[in-house]
Amino acid sequence: MSLLKVTGLGKRFGGLIAVRDLSFSLDPGEILGLIGPNGSGKSTTMGLVMGVIPPDTGSVRLGGTDMTGWAPHRVAKHGVSLMFQHSRPLRRHSVLENIELALLPDSLWNFVPHPRVARRAREIAERVGLEEFVERWPETLPYAHLRRLELAKAIARDPQVLLIDEPFAGLTMAEMREFSALISSLRDERRAVLLVDHNVKGVRALVDRVLAMHVGSKIAEGTPDQVMSDPTVRSVYLGGSLDGGPETADRGAVAGPPLLQVESLRVHYDRAQALDGVDLEVREGELVSVVGLNGAGKTTLFNAVSGFVAHEGFIRWRGESLDGATPGAVARAGIVQCPESRELFGDMTVAENLEMGGYHLSREDYARQHATVLALFPILAERQRQTARTLSGGEQQMLAIGRALMTRPRLLILDEPSMGLAPLVMEHISTAIEALRAEGVTVLLGEQNVSFALRHSDRVYLLEQGRIAWQGAPGAFAEATGERYL
Amino acid sequence: MQWLRSPRLWVAALALVAMVLLPLWVSEYVLGVLTIAYYFGVFAMSWDLLFGYAGEVNFGPTFLIGIGAYVSGMLNIYTSVPMVLCIAAGAVAAVIAGVLLALPALRLRGAYFGLVTLVSVLILQTVIVLFASYTGGEIGFSVPSILSIDSGVNYYYALAFMVVSGMVLLAVARSPMGLILQATGQDPLGAQALGFNVTKHKLAAFCLSALFSGLAGALTIFYLGSVSVNTVVDLAVTVQIIIAAVLGGRRTIVGGALGAIFLIVAAEYLRPIGELSNLVVAAFALIVLLFIPDGFLGLFPRREARS
Amino acid sequence: MTLLLQVLVDGFVIGALYGLGAAGFTIIFGVSGVLNLAHGGVMVVAAMVAWMVAGGILHASLLTGVVCGVAAGMVTAYATYYLVVRPAQRSRRIPDEEREIFILTATLLLGIVIQEGIAYLFTSNPVTVPPLVSGVVHVFGVRTPTNELLIGVISWVVLGLLWLFVNRTRQGKAVLAASINPHGLAMLGFELPQIHRLVWGLYGLLGGVAGVLLATFEGASSGLVGGLTASAFIIVVLGGLGSVPGSLVAAYVIGFMETVTAYLISPAIRTLPGMVLLLLILYVRPQGLLGRR
Repeated sequence: MSLLKVTGLGKRFGGLIAVRDLSFSLDPGEILGLIGPNGSGKSTTMGLVMGVIPPDTGSVRLGGTDMTGWAPHRVAKHGVSLMFQHSRPLRRHSVLENIELALLPDSLWNFVPHPRVARRAREIAERVGLEEFVERWPETLPYAHLRRLELAKAIARDPQVLLIDEPFAGLTMAEMREFSALISSLRDERRAVLLVDHNVKGVRALVDRVLAMHVGSKIAEGTPDQVMSDPTVRSVYLGGSLDGGPETADRGAVAGPPLLQVESLRVHYDRAQALDGVDLEVREGELVSVVGLNGAGKTTLFNAVSGFVAHEGFIRWRGESLDGATPGAVARAGIVQCPESRELFGDMTVAENLEMGGYHLSREDYARQHATVLALFPILAERQRQTARTLSGGEQQMLAIGRALMTRPRLLILDEPSMGLAPLVMEHISTAIEALRAEGVTVLLGEQNVSFALRHSDRVYLLEQGRIAWQGAPGAFAEATGERYL
Repeated sequence: MQWLRSPRLWVAALALVAMVLLPLWVSEYVLGVLTIAYYFGVFAMSWDLLFGYAGEVNFGPTFLIGIGAYVSGMLNIYTSVPMVLCIAAGAVAAVIAGVLLALPALRLRGAYFGLVTLVSVLILQTVIVLFASYTGGEIGFSVPSILSIDSGVNYYYALAFMVVSGMVLLAVARSPMGLILQATGQDPLGAQALGFNVTKHKLAAFCLSALFSGLAGALTIFYLGSVSVNTVVDLAVTVQIIIAAVLGGRRTIVGGALGAIFLIVAAEYLRPIGELSNLVVAAFALIVLLFIPDGFLGLFPRREARS
Repeated sequence: MTLLLQVLVDGFVIGALYGLGAAGFTIIFGVSGVLNLAHGGVMVVAAMVAWMVAGGILHASLLTGVVCGVAAGMVTAYATYYLVVRPAQRSRRIPDEEREIFILTATLLLGIVIQEGIAYLFTSNPVTVPPLVSGVVHVFGVRTPTNELLIGVISWVVLGLLWLFVNRTRQGKAVLAASINPHGLAMLGFELPQIHRLVWGLYGLLGGVAGVLLATFEGASSGLVGGLTASAFIIVVLGGLGSVPGSLVAAYVIGFMETVTAYLISPAIRTLPGMVLLLLILYVRPQGLLGRR
């Protein structure tokens, strides 16, 4: 009999269906990997199993017990542990004390420390390879060790089922391999592991089975090889054919001098590694794509260029360094980002959003730019008086791009413009991007949908776990990486 | 027995000896000031348990103190219950009131929780004024019983109470329970995932804080011989408690006592400048909050980061 | 019947005044993310300076007094931002998860500093600024001081100007955009420090006007600082943090509740029903009446 059995799980948030009729099971000693692009529902699934989010439909059973709708601490006591993506240890206590915390019973009469607790904590520290660090404070530990501490806390109560949320985020390739080995060893203890991560290659190497999700539903389940070669899964991740398209053929046209130069870029969030030495260049008139899975670091790269996150390394714009410039100054210098989250002014109308974009322009420039944007996206002209929040997904994306265009950027950064859009709308965006190219706007495009990116690019960079894994012409992409992308 | 060599322990022991021997050298007036300071110390230490450990900012500790004070005081006036039982009843009433307040309030996020506690004090104030015929309204009333007429005896009562409360609160804070409390305060979801019923633990911390606040409130009025809205249910008192705990150092328990003593003594020294003294103290606390957020004791951390 | 009308008239004016103060409070929250517990200080400082210039000490014209009062309100608002809020937001010594609470406590302490400062300089006795106009007017048969009516009108005019500013001028729309999504605004080339400068000045203006008007109506004293902050806080939470229309609605709800209580039961406990209502709302619907968050 399966250890963990999930049946017909469903959850909606307002109008959005996050998880739809999901069923799977987990046996002892098995590692199941949950994959899917952003918005597929994998993190929500974790939350539903752990009780952090109460499900609308379906059931979660452990052994024979129905745990559906239980509060998280009850689920935890019953034998399920969750290892969080973000480490939040007690800062003024040693690693050992943090592990001891996990061993304490949920009782109000915890006044005397039990010697067995300290001894067991040491054993667990040894189990995850932290025996030399037990007396140290968490802030002195490198990030990879903090993740081990989280794992230690999760296995301290000897859980039957272990849920692991994004174990590889923030780790370097080498650290990923070590951590994978550690997780793999949990099999020997006959624990069941449910794993969620964006790094598909990492997941594939580690797990016994894979379950792929897309917009809340299961689209494939089976061995890693089976799932990764499943056509539905491939199209969800890659978007379509990797041959590029008719436009790809006659690229290589004249590109101007380099506008943006990024050298040895390193970014850390706290101590988690987000970018590990990235080199990139965008020349005037080009459309350069950065492709990669979620979590690879595309958004971090763009935020570093836009001045929102601190970085090491060099970022040069038209020859001058951008170090220390405020985000507003970077935007005024000509680099304008249209982020993944769009960041629209939800309560303001379409017209007002565009107005904000063109705020710093003279009256004539504004009129001209406004006309250009409306010609590019006629639907915005119709909806001028509508509140941005009430627009459809596609319309919001168009508004976001239109608003960024109102600033008359020299370099337009588009982060995942095709995300969550219906194919028809994607076509529209495609056309708009080509029109932009024709106008001579330089574009830096970040996309998970490789097919979409290849169709428009002059050059392509492949970003994996914070590093550039490959760069070249779009036509060469399929040959160089295609099959190995997932 | 490694802890016997801890320098902190020796400093604390010396301080304790000094405080015990103090009445031999100082005037009755000074003893009176310190007596109030010690009770204040308990107010601040109970506040720190809630703020520094459970992570909940209580903008209305005077709600609990006030209930403890008024219940015990009114029992004393209107009934013939012995003083000790009145005090006990006051403490119990404070705990009950604390539970009634906290149970729904703990569902709310930080700032909203603070707002609810703030409003609870205002409501209590208004209710006391409303039923002035029973409670003496803004002027308050005197209580027939009194702890002692001798300032020395009162001093030792207060000192003993502060030391015992401090030890209990410190023991709780340093115990595994304190560790759990900190976890629930810093990362409630993480604590839940480790199997801890966060609401249960925070509620327990609130009850403990209420118990000591209520006790201290009751004892204070039987020391002063009277109770009024201004002495125990005022927003100004709330602010002083917060200042004391922050100055002394949050998340230390002992810091609360230190801060309270410092505050009351400083107020005495600043008396010559009259009205300005409150301003000076608040301004000083503001500067400390911004530049030395860990307070006095925070400058001498219990353990340094080991690397 | 006259009682009902009296309540309506008084409630209308008080609601307007409260609304003026609350509007500023909630805009600050929307843009800076700060709940300013020194809010009452802005209003009372404005009131005191107006009194000092026009009534008590300098005996200048009423207009000069009003202008100085409003200016003083703006100075107080800027002092709050640059001396307390901004340093607390940027300080590296304060851990991030406790930052919100630290800022709350810091503004609370600042409020005390302002309150005690006023008490020291002006004693804690209430002062009144001479009414803007004298005389009495009959509104629906109710004898009302003309000044009181004028205050209601002025408050609404200012609120109307605020609406025009935010919805019709470029600068105002930038402020509105900042209160909705500061990050998005930075991406379009705006400098957020400039926006903050504008918003806190606007806040000081609104609070200053409310404070001066209050002084001509009911008088002001150092003791009011805490109560005014508490009222504004309650109104803004009731109406939904960050929502100006919500605050206005809530201001009227509270204003009328206080007036009714004062007339029918006793002025001493007029704040009680509002506070009980707040507790109920927090327990049942924490995001307030019209709030989004």
